[in-house]
Amino acid sequence: MTASDLAIEVQGLGVRFRRNRRGRRSIKDLFSDSSRRSKPGEFWALRDVSFDVRPGESIGVVGRNGQGKSTLLKLVAGVLLADEGTVAVNGGVAPLIEITGGFVGDLTVRENVRLTAGLHGMSKAEVARRFDGIIDFAELEDFIDTPYKHLSNGMKVRLAFSVVSQLEEPILLVDEVLAVGDKAFREKCYTRIDELLADGRTLFFVSHSERDLRRFCTRGLYLDKHRLAMDAPIDEVLDRYNADYPVGA
Amino acid sequence: MTTAAVGAPGSARRYLHSLWLLSARDLKVRYSTSALGYLWSVLDPLVMSAIYWFVFTQVFHRTVGYEPYIVFLITALLPWVWFNSSVSDFTRAFNRDARLVRSTAIPRSIWVNRIVLSKGVEFLCSLPVLALFVVLSYFTDHPAQLNWGLLWIPVAVLLQTVLLVGLGLLVAPLCVLWNDLERTTKLILRALFYASPVIYGVEDLPGVFETLAAFNPLAGIFALYRVGFFADEWDPWVIGIGAVMSFLFLALGIFVFRRLERPVLKEL
Repeated sequence: MTASDLAIEVQGLGVRFRRNRRGRRSIKDLFSDSSRRSKPGEFWALRDVSFDVRPGESIGVVGRNGQGKSTLLKLVAGVLLADEGTVAVNGGVAPLIEITGGFVGDLTVRENVRLTAGLHGMSKAEVARRFDGIIDFAELEDFIDTPYKHLSNGMKVRLAFSVVSQLEEPILLVDEVLAVGDKAFREKCYTRIDELLADGRTLFFVSHSERDLRRFCTRGLYLDKHRLAMDAPIDEVLDRYNADYPVGA
Repeated sequence: MTTAAVGAPGSARRYLHSLWLLSARDLKVRYSTSALGYLWSVLDPLVMSAIYWFVFTQVFHRTVGYEPYIVFLITALLPWVWFNSSVSDFTRAFNRDARLVRSTAIPRSIWVNRIVLSKGVEFLCSLPVLALFVVLSYFTDHPAQLNWGLLWIPVAVLLQTVLLVGLGLLVAPLCVLWNDLERTTKLILRALFYASPVIYGVEDLPGVFETLAAFNPLAGIFALYRVGFFADEWDPWVIGIGAVMSFLFLALGIFVFRRLERPVLKEL
């Protein structure tokens, strides 16, 4: 299989964060190669992560809080850059990685939809064509001209999912945002995800809900201690995760 | 599958599409949310011109610049406002839209260039004010002397764009990493106004300062804007050094931006 047949190709990925915000920075950092030295006060949020994803696969990322699940998604989405290793993504990515969808508070719902869809390469005419569908799915007909910041949290998530799931990108990233919506909307989202999967999209899914993971994903990535501990069918990964961190123990 | 998309991700067409989308949003917000709208882009330079015109022609006896002094002022004040407002916006280029930056994988330089572009459009929209004062000067004792040097104005716009993009790539990431720089930049801008030939011309500077001023790229750029109205402003040394300095800032900006992109994204 050649590299271009893969949807996502991750090789020796590592990313480092500072432990405290007040860590000292110096002008010297500008000139030093960031991938070499490991400075004090920094830790590797992810290291030595390698895996390939074929188009159409649906992958669930499992792990405890703070083990790098969201960081991995951000690296795949290209909104964070790795300190070592490479991430190669073929085709665009529709990311749902911020609970608020990364919308701008001061702009209205209408303007936010146009902006986000536009930044993902949708032309003006195309946005106009899909606009009603997006609003309809998010059930926000009465709030089209409301500033985004005045929406309730549930509405924000509905809008975010609605916009992102309408993007014609071959890869969809979803980071546990679905936990927020109410049950009826969640069902709608599940149906939409099923449609996208049937359409041959690649899904990258972070969740703490075992039910969701088993429902959508065929393959699981288990992140533990900032490394990729296991890459196997989702049922095996979940069994291992439950064995490592038994509930109520 | 991506029939609806404008260009492939990473293509120049997609870059321009995103750039224009964000710049147009800035302009729309600026023009549609305020009652005065367009007036805001000309009000600042107009009020400043009025003040300097009053102070230097009515209060003091002016020895610098050329007649008509009001045209001399406005030819540099309009581009100064473009420069000043862009650089002050660079300090918040990433923080203001942190959410969008954190969730949208467009080339990061767009967050800087959209400021240069939207402020540049406002600058172009303010040029009719200059034309107005040139016309008015024909009813006074000192009409403006237009010449073919006017053709240098597009070159000046281009050079100022190069300088601003370079400064933006330099200032914007640095301000994310070091908060102090935001206020430092404001202070430097205020000093730079008097250190740049806006209310005077480079040739009015005494001795060694005239040589030093050439290394301020704004000196060469403002000279290019003025040469079409005041032929004596033509100074190949100042303009040449200004052009070289602008491109040096661009090179430095690109270098620093590449180095800092990674830590900036982690910081947001």
